[in-house]
Amino acid sequence: MFYIHHTSCISPQQTFAEINIDLLKDAIENKLRAAEPSYEGIPTGVLRRMGKAVRMGVGTALPLIKRITKPVNGIIIGTANGGMEDCIKFLNQIIDYDEGMLAPGNFVQSTPNAIAAQIGLLTNNRNYNITHVHRGLSFENAMMDAAMMLKEYPANSYLLGGIDEISTYNYNIEWLGGWYKKEPVSISDLYQKNSQGSIAGEGASMYIVSAEKLNALAAVDDVLILHSTNEEIITSQLKAFIDKNAKGGNIDLLLTGENGDSRLLKYYTAAEKLVDKDTSVARFKHMTGEYTTAAAFAVWLACEILSGMKIPGHLIKYKANSNFNKRILIYNNYKGLQHSFVLINKVE
Amino acid sequence: MSRIFVTGIGVISAIGNNLAENHLALKAGECGIADLHLFPSKYAGVLPFGEVKLTTKQLKEKLSAAEPGVTRTSLIALHAFNEAIDHAQLTAAQITASDTALIGASTVGGMCLTDELYHDANRTDQGSEYLSSYDCAAVNIYLQARAGINGIVNTINTACSSSANAIMYGARLIKSGHTRRAIVGGADSLAKFTINGFNALHILSDQACTPFDANRKGLNLGEGAAFLVLESEADANGKKIYAELTGYANNNDSFHPSSLSENGEGPFLSMKTALEKAKLLPREIDYINAHGTGTENNDEVESRAMLRLFETVPAFTSTKSNTGHTLGAAGAIEAVFSILNLTHQEIYPGLHFHFPISTTRLQPELNYRKSTLKNVMSNSFGFGGNCTSLIFSKA
Repeated sequence: MFYIHHTSCISPQQTFAEINIDLLKDAIENKLRAAEPSYEGIPTGVLRRMGKAVRMGVGTALPLIKRITKPVNGIIIGTANGGMEDCIKFLNQIIDYDEGMLAPGNFVQSTPNAIAAQIGLLTNNRNYNITHVHRGLSFENAMMDAAMMLKEYPANSYLLGGIDEISTYNYNIEWLGGWYKKEPVSISDLYQKNSQGSIAGEGASMYIVSAEKLNALAAVDDVLILHSTNEEIITSQLKAFIDKNAKGGNIDLLLTGENGDSRLLKYYTAAEKLVDKDTSVARFKHMTGEYTTAAAFAVWLACEILSGMKIPGHLIKYKANSNFNKRILIYNNYKGLQHSFVLINKVE
Repeated sequence: MSRIFVTGIGVISAIGNNLAENHLALKAGECGIADLHLFPSKYAGVLPFGEVKLTTKQLKEKLSAAEPGVTRTSLIALHAFNEAIDHAQLTAAQITASDTALIGASTVGGMCLTDELYHDANRTDQGSEYLSSYDCAAVNIYLQARAGINGIVNTINTACSSSANAIMYGARLIKSGHTRRAIVGGADSLAKFTINGFNALHILSDQACTPFDANRKGLNLGEGAAFLVLESEADANGKKIYAELTGYANNNDSFHPSSLSENGEGPFLSMKTALEKAKLLPREIDYINAHGTGTENNDEVESRAMLRLFETVPAFTSTKSNTGHTLGAAGAIEAVFSILNLTHQEIYPGLHFHFPISTTRLQPELNYRKSTLKNVMSNSFGFGGNCTSLIFSKA
């Protein structure tokens, strides 16, 4: 499909600039908030007006754009909600001021396409510019978009990213919906609770992708998205996905989106049964919390592992005997309905 | 790569609940912009809006949509979706096949329920039935569940060009072999949220909008939905073909979050690149369904971009003078209208125009007439500089 050449990630953990994910920051009140950098390179006046999602998106994108010599041929962003905090700030003004005269700033910042638009604006990029907002599959759809672009225009390169923020308000909506745990939980026992819901998370992961194999960090070989709550359908689709890609060799690592929600565990357990004993199993949502574009973080983590990072013990659920880490399968699901399988390989 | 044919279309807007009604209203030059009845708002009776003339209750009954949490946006989406798949005569097996994609667009999603969202977001009491209905994706996820779609499902939000991009994306999925057919379109309903947002930007007109008129006062918000069924050449063979999608392009204006650059670089690029994609010369475009919102900024910039690209600007109108600006649905609704131009070989009158803009002197078509049309262009430009142009050609 395509190759990843540069990555950048703002997450609740130390993943930006000096990467160190051996020691983890714990959740506070069941929220894992992003460790935001000082955002050098974004003009102060512009930065002040940006909501967190836009800030994190621009903040991860600009360092990548700096690293490349040729402008990207498009900006492809996945975000379920974009600037949710701005959206609800504006909503609150509507109600609290009974539709009085309002300042438009929050309204303009609240449109999900504001992230891609701001990156386009700040980098003077007039090429393809799009925002995929399909809830828990926003980033996966963005990946498919990039793959199609690179199939059609193999000489091009694209900025690809996935961003979502915790806002007070989407936290409340998801909490009312029963998607976050009622009892306080530490990330070290997120998977042991056997209760409903997860913890909230956020982050931005950004990539430069192209069809050029030379000097690539990783190859994204296949992506499949699926809507179903039927375990059997999901298992059979995942099996077909694995079989289809079997000729590429054994899967060394299954990286899953297990998130401590007892209702979703059955899907991940079923996925684990599809791989053999030579495949290690790892999970990452204790690092990030649950959010709609968490798969974008999983891709970043996969790139780090494929680039030779020693996998910290806290990620491992099952350790296979083999020490190879050349082929990683990511399985994520959002609320048991939206599922994605992503196959990432080391570039030899 | 396969050619892309449109084999089904469905639409609901302020000027009609289906394709036939919209067609008659366009021919007759009807304007659907009027008083707001949908919900109480300070701006009801002050500003006019393009409402779909069915209440949410009527839509629920008509569509047998008794699911908890279903919103007006999802209902009008389903209404247009049903008409499109009906016209395309898709079988149940085709709709649920893994090679049928659903690509939708929405900018409002379930935020049409502004008050409910306020209560849920501020956790003022128990959660409402709409907790998972507010986001843009909720509309398509509803259609996916309702129709049993098993293929690729995606939602796009590039503000006011969202559903033009959904059409483009569906075509690319077919061309790249990811899917055989794609049901593409968009829906948005009126919301206190968008009314207050656009009002805060001072771009809402207190009268029916007057696109491309020198004295234009701004836009009117509207609501509606449209869906198109796109099929590959092989699959469309033997079916009624409404049009061929020959060109599309998405470019960014890269100028300002909520207004277009003076020379319309983004609009110019999207029109030009769509022509290149279609392998057409500017003079081969016979009609343009302009973005034409009726705002000071858009109409002058779009005019300038058209003047830059076309030696002689083709016949053009903005159907937002009929429907109001339907935001995320506009690209799809106007694509359907452009296809009506093609299939009936007609040009419909642009409304409320009196005097051309002094700097650009362009005048939209004002009268109904028959015309030989081979290629028509539909423009959609959004906040964030997101510009998309589509070209449909007579099949």
